[in-house]
Amino acid sequence: MRRKSSFLKAMLLATCALTTLVLVPASARGEGTLTLYCSPQIEWCQLVIAEFTRATGIKVAMTRKSSGETFAQIKAEASNPKGDVWWGGTGDPHLQAAEEGLTLEYRSPRLGELQAWATNQAKASNYRTVGVYAGALGFGYNTELVAKKKLPEPKCWKDLTRPDLKGEVQVADPNSSGTSYTLLATMVQLLGEAEAFEYLKKLHRNVNQYTKSGSSPIKAAAQGETTVGIVFMHDAVTMAVRGAPIKVVAPCEGTGYEVGSMSIIKGARNLESAKRFYDWALTAAAQSLGATAEAYQVPSNKGAATPPQAPKLGEIKLIDYDFAKYGTSAERKRLLEKWGKEVKSLPQ
Amino acid sequence: MSLETHSASVEFRRVTKAYGPVVAVREVSFTVAAGTLVTLLGPSGCGKTTTLRLIAGLEMTTSGQILIGGSDVTRVPATDRDVSMVFQSYALFPHMTVLENVCYGLSVGGEPRDRAVAAAREGLALLGLVGFDDRLPSELSGGQQQRVAVARALVLEPRVLLFDEPLSNLDAKLRRRVRQEIRDLQQKLRLSVVYVTHDQEEALAVSDQIIVMDNAVIAQQGTPTELYLEPASRFVADFIGDANLVKGTLKRTDERLAALRLGGVEFALPHRGATDGEVNVAIRPEAVRLRPADGTDAPLVGTILKAAYLGSHMEYTVGSVIGELFVVDSGGVAAPFTVGARVSIAFTSHGVTVVD
Amino acid sequence: MDRAVLGWAVAGGIAYALLPWYALEDGIFGFGWLSGYPTDRIGAPALVQALLHGRLALLPVAVFLLAPLAVRGFRGAGASPALLLTVGAGGTAWIAVQGFAVGGQPGIGVGGLVVFAALLMLFCVGMAAKGAFNGDRFLSGGIGAVVALVVVFVFFPVSRVLVGAVEDSSGAFAPSEFWAKLSAREVWGLDCLGSSAGCGVAWNTLILGVLVGASTTALGLAFALIVTRTGFRAKKALRLLTVLPIITPPFVIGLAVILLFGRAGAFTTFMERAFGVVPSRWIYGLPGVWLAQVLAFTPIAFLVLIGVVEGISPSMEEAAQTLRADRWRTFTTVSLPLMRPGLANAFLLGFIESLADFGNPLVLGGNYHVLSISIFFAVVGAQHDRGRAAVLSIVLLVFTLGAFYAQRRWLGRRSYATVTGKGDAGLHPPLPASMQRLVYATALPWAVFTAVIYVMILFGGFVETWGRDHSFSLRHYVAAFAVDVTDFGLRWKGAAWNSLWTTIEIAAISAPLTAAIGLLTAYLLVRQRFRGKEAFEFGTMLSFAIPGTVIGISYILAFNTPPIELTGTGIILVICFVFRNMPVSVRAGIAAMSQIDRSLDEASLTLGARSPTTIRRVILPLLRPAIVAALVFSFVRAMTAISAVIFLVSANYDMATSYIVGRVENGDYGLAIAYCSVLIGFMVLVVLLIQFVVGRRRLGRRAPTRVSLEGIPA
Repeated sequence: MRRKSSFLKAMLLATCALTTLVLVPASARGEGTLTLYCSPQIEWCQLVIAEFTRATGIKVAMTRKSSGETFAQIKAEASNPKGDVWWGGTGDPHLQAAEEGLTLEYRSPRLGELQAWATNQAKASNYRTVGVYAGALGFGYNTELVAKKKLPEPKCWKDLTRPDLKGEVQVADPNSSGTSYTLLATMVQLLGEAEAFEYLKKLHRNVNQYTKSGSSPIKAAAQGETTVGIVFMHDAVTMAVRGAPIKVVAPCEGTGYEVGSMSIIKGARNLESAKRFYDWALTAAAQSLGATAEAYQVPSNKGAATPPQAPKLGEIKLIDYDFAKYGTSAERKRLLEKWGKEVKSLPQ
Repeated sequence: MSLETHSASVEFRRVTKAYGPVVAVREVSFTVAAGTLVTLLGPSGCGKTTTLRLIAGLEMTTSGQILIGGSDVTRVPATDRDVSMVFQSYALFPHMTVLENVCYGLSVGGEPRDRAVAAAREGLALLGLVGFDDRLPSELSGGQQQRVAVARALVLEPRVLLFDEPLSNLDAKLRRRVRQEIRDLQQKLRLSVVYVTHDQEEALAVSDQIIVMDNAVIAQQGTPTELYLEPASRFVADFIGDANLVKGTLKRTDERLAALRLGGVEFALPHRGATDGEVNVAIRPEAVRLRPADGTDAPLVGTILKAAYLGSHMEYTVGSVIGELFVVDSGGVAAPFTVGARVSIAFTSHGVTVVD
Repeated sequence: MDRAVLGWAVAGGIAYALLPWYALEDGIFGFGWLSGYPTDRIGAPALVQALLHGRLALLPVAVFLLAPLAVRGFRGAGASPALLLTVGAGGTAWIAVQGFAVGGQPGIGVGGLVVFAALLMLFCVGMAAKGAFNGDRFLSGGIGAVVALVVVFVFFPVSRVLVGAVEDSSGAFAPSEFWAKLSAREVWGLDCLGSSAGCGVAWNTLILGVLVGASTTALGLAFALIVTRTGFRAKKALRLLTVLPIITPPFVIGLAVILLFGRAGAFTTFMERAFGVVPSRWIYGLPGVWLAQVLAFTPIAFLVLIGVVEGISPSMEEAAQTLRADRWRTFTTVSLPLMRPGLANAFLLGFIESLADFGNPLVLGGNYHVLSISIFFAVVGAQHDRGRAAVLSIVLLVFTLGAFYAQRRWLGRRSYATVTGKGDAGLHPPLPASMQRLVYATALPWAVFTAVIYVMILFGGFVETWGRDHSFSLRHYVAAFAVDVTDFGLRWKGAAWNSLWTTIEIAAISAPLTAAIGLLTAYLLVRQRFRGKEAFEFGTMLSFAIPGTVIGISYILAFNTPPIELTGTGIILVICFVFRNMPVSVRAGIAAMSQIDRSLDEASLTLGARSPTTIRRVILPLLRPAIVAALVFSFVRAMTAISAVIFLVSANYDMATSYIVGRVENGDYGLAIAYCSVLIGFMVLVVLLIQFVVGRRRLGRRAPTRVSLEGIPA
């Protein structure tokens, strides 16, 4: 009987060990706090929250996850949301969250200061999300490899289907990456659906790998693992600025773009702080922070300074990307299934 | 000897142990009186080890009751039964020294360190193991390990001490010596001991009572003499000692006795419930008397088929009308029969039993 | 008996009447709840909640707690087993049901937890009193506790996510979708047989798993044999080298492999310059993933096998030799078969690890798709198809189940007990010469390869840009681990400190819990017979078999809302690690324990020791290699796990790996690698510490192994 207590003791100890962990609450709550889900690179996230706290005194608890992960998390948490604002990351999952009613409608007084593409994003989603930056789709190539193989410099989408680039192009799988889905939708809008799929089939012969993550191809190109990587141009710029032998290309035929977005999560526990962050993040000052964190996207506030290295949207032939149509789940599903059937299953 | 004894009786009341559809022990009842040594004897798989483990509390009964010292322990776990066990493999803790092994039970029971050591030393001394305290079990011989195991069980002064084939790993000479030591110790300390073995000679040598088990049930319980001279069944007769199993004709003469005809020989013996007519008879080899047949009127004669000289006695195989008989003759070693010799056969009154 | 009942009933009663029933915002040690205690709604105990705040559903709990005490009071005798079973089962069920059914409640807190535990233990005491588990209350309680934990933290969340398999995207019941997703060509297609197109992910996963399982087992065995059975000089270095990969955060090995064998890799460039071999992308796909996984998982096989190889009774090998078997025959007919439990466990672990691995296929997979990746991107990719993730998880689970079953069939019912109660003083025979050559030829090149990989990793942290600009630089270390000395003491200025401290804290808490629960479970599985044991064993393996991504999602789904609300806390990370890593402790424990003769425990029991004492004084000392393995593995895994963690980290509890992955995603390899090097160094220290504290078992064999193994990290 006496030694029974040792088991009791062990149980108590384990319980204590666990409870000490509850020292810090699940989410910041009450006045002057904010829980932020941040999807761009962490330097930018950290810079933004530091500046926001300095400007408003509101303390921010920030978690950085990719936009796909954040969407999955918000969806899983829907019955008891833990986050307040979701800032950054490609626009599609934001639109999808809006479509599924996971985010809150909010019309910021600063909507008037924004570029048209940013407010279009808001309108498309019934003001459940808004554009904070934009980035055009393009590709980058490894100049050393191109020189070594004495290849002509690729300048257009159609150059990527040239036979001499067989096995030299890398792009993400649209099933897993928003970047690559943007490529698919861009081609459909640029060439018409039938033509677009013909193009993608030709491209398929040159693709050495469909990566999972959207920005992997340019990293592979920077390391010399592939010659061409199809990515958002600002990601290619980052590599080039860091000294990799990468040349960034805006395809001559014209191209689509993403609208990095921001949404307030439905059921936010700190709604007031969330709205303050939302308004602040749309200001010109807040949007000028990107360049210092190696983020070369184009800000959505008309008054914000565009980083000098950033691809100039004005000089790129941008298509009139129909986010309302190509952002819906139904259209996305249809295109992806068609791509899987007609393109991915072909032998290389 | 300061080791005190708290010997207690063990009683089984219709105990059954089943593993799913397999019944290891079926409706077994017996009593082990306090201070006696009782052997569970039987071939492997008969349920004797399961019975022992039921006493120890290492198995729980499927039905029935177990009492130790008169109190019901059926649902009491092993730890609380105050029963110690010596395992066939000795189960010495390989990471502890001899002294630590022997102290183990005392120290987990809350005995202060110095008293535990003193008791352990005393126990080791009792078994003739002095100066081995700091050895690891792997550094001892088989016989020494066996004694450490006994000492470890003994120093707890258990109410019942259990032995599970403790001698099976020892050589023949050592086995004889150690079994006598165990018997001496048991008698000296008046211990209640339940002892499992499959060796009938060992059982006969050490036991106050023997319980013969066969096929999950008790075949017979009794003193060694009873079992040897009056086996209840062919199984027991055959298992304990050697027995010639033959057919005879029985006719009851009164309440207890009957006349038995074996070949031409007729003599009286207890009928033990057998009905008139043909019966099974067990004849011990030494209950057969052989004489040279002078050719005339012997009621039963036979022919020597094999003869073996074993120093202290002769062993013969004799062909006769009642079948081949195995005979041990310790009287005629000086002038043995030769193979092919004709002999007349007679029986002593002890050693011939009617069995079912 | 009665005191146990009294103790648990009183403990439950005190918790019911005094401890805050619900979870508190800032934790029980935040002490903020004391200000309004006991009437305030926030920190009130169940009694007050029920009486003052209208939470009437809590009242029946009191009845269950009081019943055994009341019976004791009225009858003066103890409660009957039947009553205890009723009270325990009824009470725990009631707490669970009202937790889910009654809305508007916060998550369950300390009070609720203690009451639940008390009722559970009353149930277990009742079971023991009925004669279950040989009447041993400790075992009964242990099994009850482990079963409850596995149900709550494995079955419950996993079932939450698997239900998604038969739902369509809107959450409605749609079994036809299940079949459509299950039979899809990208899962089971066999196109690779006839054309250049790839096979289905299921086949890919299976092929990879079997290859990796077999390779890691063979390599692990080779290393274990070198360390225990040969006179090889640099055993210490070898042991360290085989352990390195296990303490390496994900992605790093994959990245190093690319920098070595990629199209622009060092080795490839060398081959091009020296022999004119045209650089190709052969590494992307099965070869690369296989290479990286074998590098990463061989140590697991080694850790499992070293204990088994050491534990084989030398006398059995000596016996074989005296039976005129030469060394080779002895090895193949006696030693090797005796290692079967170890080999089977090593293979099973390698196979399952490969199935669940995420980082290496992500970096090196190329167009070779495996299930874990497909599941991850089904959840976070552009389609956000949780149903597909669930279906693929089921496929993965079936594979694991199959491996588990096959292992069972192979081991059969043979006895592998080699540490018996009989003292055993033999010498392990050295390996046969041909075997020794084979072992050296397998293991040593591999060791060199591992060493090269690690030199590259270490090197990568000190150069400007890994793979491009190899000029010396400390900037990565400064960025991550800079420390300012200010007037107020040290200021942890580097970007990595925060996540590093959190990671160490979580790992340090979860490792001993994992080892304890895992070894207890192993003990129950090996030594006890009870109904439903197979299901129980599988349950403990379940969380290991499911990819981390699914576990992460399932934990959010299950523990984001009351009655168990854990998201955003550190507890959820600890629990996740404990139940994800427990299977390794269980396997190591089972392998080691099946070598210890059962009569040793029984001897201890009949000598008057209770189960806890028996475990502490007899089993644990003999299990030291398994304890080291369990502790090391669970600590290291807690520090290096990634896929489950991605979903469970929160602002206050960010983990090192999630930080590192962020850097890798950003292409900032230098800092990622610098951080990894620091983690590796730290873990080496911890492994040495564990080895030192736990120590080695002493079996008193006169063996050279005893001398050569002292003080070597496991």
